[in-house]
Amino acid sequence: MDEHLVALEKRMQQLQEALRQALTQHDSAQVNVLGEELTRTRHAWNVLCGLSDVPDTAQPEVQPEARPEPALAVVEPNQGVPVRDQVHQALALLTVPASPKLLSQVHEAFFSSPLNTARMTTLRRDEERSFRSAPYGRAYYICPALTSDLLSPARALLALSTWPLEQRLVGPLTQRVHFLTSALRLADAAEHLAGEAGMPQPVQQLLLHYSRNIHGDTPRGPLDLDALRRAAAAELEIHADNDADTRAEAAQRARQQLGDAEQIFGNILRNTARMHRTS
Amino acid sequence: MSSLDARLGVLRGTTPPIPHNARTLAALTANPSCDRRSLLDAAGIDKDALAAHLDLPRPLRKSQLALDYGIAFERKVTAQAGAPLVPLLRQALGLTLPEVSYEDVNSVGSDDDKSSPQLRHARTRSLILSAAHRRSDPRTLLDHPVLRLTVAGHQAYLEPDVLAFQRDGVFHVVEIKSFPVIHGQPDPIKATAALTQAAAYVLALRELLADDGLPPDRVSDTVILVNPRNFTRHPTATPFSAHKQIKNLSRHLGRLRRLPELLDKLPPATTFDLAPGPDQKPTRPRNELVAALATVRPHYTPGCRHHCDLAFHCRTEARNQGRTAALGTAVRDDLAGIDTIATALDLTDGRMHPSRDKQDITQALRHAQRIHADLQQDTA
Repeated sequence: MDEHLVALEKRMQQLQEALRQALTQHDSAQVNVLGEELTRTRHAWNVLCGLSDVPDTAQPEVQPEARPEPALAVVEPNQGVPVRDQVHQALALLTVPASPKLLSQVHEAFFSSPLNTARMTTLRRDEERSFRSAPYGRAYYICPALTSDLLSPARALLALSTWPLEQRLVGPLTQRVHFLTSALRLADAAEHLAGEAGMPQPVQQLLLHYSRNIHGDTPRGPLDLDALRRAAAAELEIHADNDADTRAEAAQRARQQLGDAEQIFGNILRNTARMHRTS
Repeated sequence: MSSLDARLGVLRGTTPPIPHNARTLAALTANPSCDRRSLLDAAGIDKDALAAHLDLPRPLRKSQLALDYGIAFERKVTAQAGAPLVPLLRQALGLTLPEVSYEDVNSVGSDDDKSSPQLRHARTRSLILSAAHRRSDPRTLLDHPVLRLTVAGHQAYLEPDVLAFQRDGVFHVVEIKSFPVIHGQPDPIKATAALTQAAAYVLALRELLADDGLPPDRVSDTVILVNPRNFTRHPTATPFSAHKQIKNLSRHLGRLRRLPELLDKLPPATTFDLAPGPDQKPTRPRNELVAALATVRPHYTPGCRHHCDLAFHCRTEARNQGRTAALGTAVRDDLAGIDTIATALDLTDGRMHPSRDKQDITQALRHAQRIHADLQQDTA
């Protein structure tokens, strides 16, 4: 039992740290998610210690009023969906590798709830472990994007294993290409959503962020989706060919040099001197 | 290991050395003539632990909240391959549209948050040199590269926020800071501190290029500071010339090479070892440590309190010895050549005869005393 308690304590500490970071970033959505999980973890700890023996059932009744989100949040479609599937949803919408922070923002904007970014690091490791014990046992894996030169996992960029290698590789220009591509994708998705009942606040904020970083400093005004799309497409054209060449070359190299698992989870640089010593 | 390293190791004792960083280098330029600090820093001695063991009041630390805010702002600016940074640099440096390539040097060959500085330095070096020699596509943005600067014969690893490189131009150091720029004006004290820090990066980058036979003017004196604009959390970029800070710092680094002379002046068997016991608590008697510190000449100024852990020790010492420095830099400079308050008073009262070079200052002191006496008579 002790080791479970220690694991829970560790988890609580992680959550508290993440919570503090989210607070300083004024990320209230993330704060809510982390806060709830912290309460759950503390409850589990209490139960294990014998401080309270009521299993965790009375909790969900506070939730509806804790979420003042309009329109989409009335029904909670994602309540039972595991993080893995939520990440998959957001990645499928973006079609490019993305950071946990962006995935959470996208998920909040289009699927009504933010994701727990603290969980995504462990998620990636779990996926790799699962693949190595039973290769291709799942329909898809959440994996890291790969750097084009070292073919190693890229820091804080998640992708889907079902994407072709070219789509998962990241060269020097790729991240800008991804940024512009995701701007186009999100603009389309937002228009689709806005057809029903105006654009929700989180979607607008997300697109404003994109528009500010593509146009440079724009005066505050209504969001112009067409202008955003035109600017993104124009810049995309400049980088696309160059970037595609780098990625195609790297993909070929990866297919020749790497095994199945490495093609998905990347090749990690190891200290060769240390390996010799231990072997 | 050179004999210099060995001698510094004896001063430090058994604990591992604390390397220089951009902040300690900046502190160095604030008070370059302090032998005590140069020696302790060169030996990599943990001044904070030393101060704690001597029961000194600690200088104010930056709050955790402020540090977190700084990190959050930096993450925001470098997110998505520096997407918020790109339009700012297009404006500030005139980058063209194709110049957006981005390389993350936070981790090399793994998805850990940070790799070892040695590995990151090797990677930074190869990226920078291939870009400078135009062997590869231009590297426009390098996120958290690691540079190396030789400080008093030692290698110190430095980590600038971002380096920007123009295809036909030069390298620029970009420093992300969380203090606001209001109406185009940052707080001058904070801006100067940031520029001094950036000067260390400029020098380190020049050292790297010089090793490969490239001229120093490939690194610009102009540093780009990225700060929150006005009272928002949106970034803005302002170019500043760090020419003065770079000149200052390189002069001070040159002077640090006189370490062997300083070491020769120390009595044999001097050490600042805290002799930590099995529980990591220092066991060295305090009076021994104080005696060891007294063998190195300090240069106390009231400003030391802002950047040195030992400032309060040096202040007490200066007061006990009746040094003019305890009265502030202005008094010390006015009384140049007279070290203690007692000597100054003796000269004024005529209890001591001034030597030839002190006649001017003695006259000035006596004049001041006459005015002081007159004023006291008037008010009486």
